[in-house]
Order: sequence, then C-alpha cells, then structure tokens
Amino acid sequence: MNARLLALLPAAIAINLVIGGLVNAMGLPLYLDSIGTILATVLAGPAVGILAGVIGQVLFGLINGYQWIPFGLIQVVIALLAGVAASQAGFRSVGRSIAWGLLTGVAAGALSSIISYVLFKGVTATGTTAVVTVLRQLGLSLPVAVTASSLTLDLADKAVAFLVVGSLVRSLPNRMVGRFPRAARAIGR
Amino acid sequence: MTPVSRAAAGRLHPFTPLVLTVCVAVLAVAAPGPQTAAALYGVTLLAVAAAGVGRAALRALVPLAPLWLFLFLLHAILGEGDQVAVLGLSLSRDGLALAVTQACRLGAIATASLALYASFSPARFVDAVAERGWSFSWAYLVVATLLALPRFRARAVAILEAQRSRGLRLRGSLLNRVRAVGPVTFPLLLGALAEVDERGFALESRCASGVTRRTPLDPPRDSLGDRVGRWLAGALAVAAVLWRVLR
Repeated sequence: MNARLLALLPAAIAINLVIGGLVNAMGLPLYLDSIGTILATVLAGPAVGILAGVIGQVLFGLINGYQWIPFGLIQVVIALLAGVAASQAGFRSVGRSIAWGLLTGVAAGALSSIISYVLFKGVTATGTTAVVTVLRQLGLSLPVAVTASSLTLDLADKAVAFLVVGSLVRSLPNRMVGRFPRAARAIGR
Repeated sequence: MTPVSRAAAGRLHPFTPLVLTVCVAVLAVAAPGPQTAAALYGVTLLAVAAAGVGRAALRALVPLAPLWLFLFLLHAILGEGDQVAVLGLSLSRDGLALAVTQACRLGAIATASLALYASFSPARFVDAVAERGWSFSWAYLVVATLLALPRFRARAVAILEAQRSRGLRLRGSLLNRVRAVGPVTFPLLLGALAEVDERGFALESRCASGVTRRTPLDPPRDSLGDRVGRWLAGALAVAAVLWRVLR
C-alpha cells in the first residue's frame, strides 16, 4: 500500500465516523456515514472505498458495539456503485450526483432492509426503528415496514452524500485533483 | 482507549481481548434462545468486571437502552400470536422471547466490544503486529484511524461553533438543517484532504510502505495463559457455530 493511500484511508474512515455523529447532533434524519467511503472511491478507486467502508464499520463496531458490523456489506455496495458513477463522470454536475445517489440509495436501502429484518428483527438505529414502529402501528407487516423505512431514509441519505462529495471534488483545485487521476474522470475534467 | 491500561485487560496480550470479543459476537449470534443469550450476557458482564473494565458495561447501556425499548415495543407489545400477561401488560409470548434473546445478544456484543475499546492500547497493538512480522500498513491503518478520530471530532466541534458564531442556523426547519450540512461538512472535508497530502509526504519519507520487517522495541509478552485463552475461545465459537448449523 503506497504512502498516499496509507494517509487517505484513516482520513476517509474518520470522515465516515465523525460526519455521521455531526449529522446526528444536528437532528437530521440522515446517516451520512458513507461520505468517506464515496470520497475515497472517487479519489482512489472502489477497492480503496471498500477498504475505507469496511474498516470504518469494524472500528465503528469497536466504539459502539460489534452488532453493527453486518452493515459493512452496505459500504461495499456503496463503494462499488460510487466506483461505477466515478468512471461514468457521475459527479460532473449536481443532477448527475443526485441521480447516482438515488440509484445507490435503492441498492443500499434494499440490502439494509434485509440485514435489519433477518439479523436485527427490525430494530436497528433509533430513527429508522421509530419509523418502523409507526408503520407497524398503521397496520403494515414487519418486513414491509422495515423495507419502506430503510428505502426512504437511504434514498435521501445517499442523494445528499453523493451531492456533498460531487460538490467537494468539483471545488478542488487542479493541483490536488491532479494527484488523484480518477477524481478528474469522476468530474469530467 | 487507554495508552497502557493498569486494568487486568490491559496486561493481556493485545490479540487476546480482540479474539475474545470476536468469539463473544459469534457465540451471541449462535445463541438459540433467551436462556442461552441471557447466560452469555451474564458471563460477559462478569468477565468484563473481572478484567477491570466494568465501566464499559455501563457505557454500553447508552446505545443499548433505545434498542431494548424498541425490541420490547415492536415484538413483545406489537407482536402477534399467544398472549401472556406480564405486570398487567398483555404481551406476545413468542415476541417477548424474541425480544429477550435479541436484547441479550446485543448486550453481550456491545459490552464486549466497548470493553475491548477501553483496554485497547494502539502502541502495544502495533508492537504485537510488528513482532509477528505482519504488515505494518494494516496495523498503521487501525491505529492511525483510532488516533485520528478524536482529532477530527475536535475539529468538527470547532467548525460547528465557528459557523454558528457566523450566524449559521443549525436548528429550526428540516430545510434549514439540510442547508447547514454543506457549511459544516465542507471545511472538515477540505481540511482532511489537506492533511492527507501532508501525511502522505511524511509517511513516504519514513518508508512506511516499505517491505522490510520492523523490530519492535518492547514487544508485549504473549503468555501461555493468553495463548490457551485464545485457542479455547476460538474452539468454543467454532463448536457453537457447528452445533447451530448441524442441529
């Protein structure tokens, strides 16, 4: 592993963990815990994004309990889709970033609902579970309530995360983008 | 996270608490019903207290409490099937058993992982990895991230305060709060990227990505007790998984 990646990975992982907490403190119904994964993917490719996402999830487990580790699979899916988006200049404009974010949100939400239902019986992060409880009280079955809640939150979450990363990479000076050739392709430069 | 913990857990070889925590997680997932899960949670609490990191069990209650509440609501109260009266409440029998099992599983896993975090010493971990001749890069990744977290958190708080003092509204309507995401996250992300540049040069100049085996100055002692404990815990976890799959 070269020195630049060795420096990028801890920063990307810390971004995942810290921005997630920051958004929580702002009382937003979003996670934004994959910005570091998406950023690492755009700058250095999906393999680096997967590493950032998975190691971040393991360390998040160390700090908050290992029960959340299965959600590391979602980070893998996010990194893979962000990699495809980057190779197709998916971060070139606001519209393209949001569109790729929504697509990723569908995949992440679907996988998240399966993990939530099978491993956690529908009880995971407090915000999501509150929505599940309300939907259950409205008469929906547990699998439907879990899927609806996961999909809704993940669509919004990934759209905002892709939008943030796209805006950031487009605003970087050429000197910095030049050090990460994949980033130039992601924003169509 | 303590540099060198004086607690019993801090005197163990760095790999021992790591292996024990993973084994607790495996055993928790393999636990078939409320009695087994509750027994595992009880044993984990006792072990954590005996290792001198009992506070981790209390800290684990913070993320666990809302999960337990929702498990009870979703499965015991809103659950279907045979009903049973508990303290004047009519609860689903199967739902209650499921809620207790899942609550104890999560309790055991969260307590074990927070106890590991409380006793984790980054420097001893790097020395242990170096002594085995394993990749320095991977050890560096884990340790650098754990050390970066408090730094990034402090920076995030400073940015939050600075933007608030410039008039950014972090409360109010949902739209207001979504608008605040950019001004709060961008400075943090740009700062992180600038740091990547500096650290990249620093690591390059110290040959961090070199393949030469490193020599630890003070490698942690891997006692017979540590080795036996790790093997026993591993064997127990494998046996539990096999029993769950084959039964």
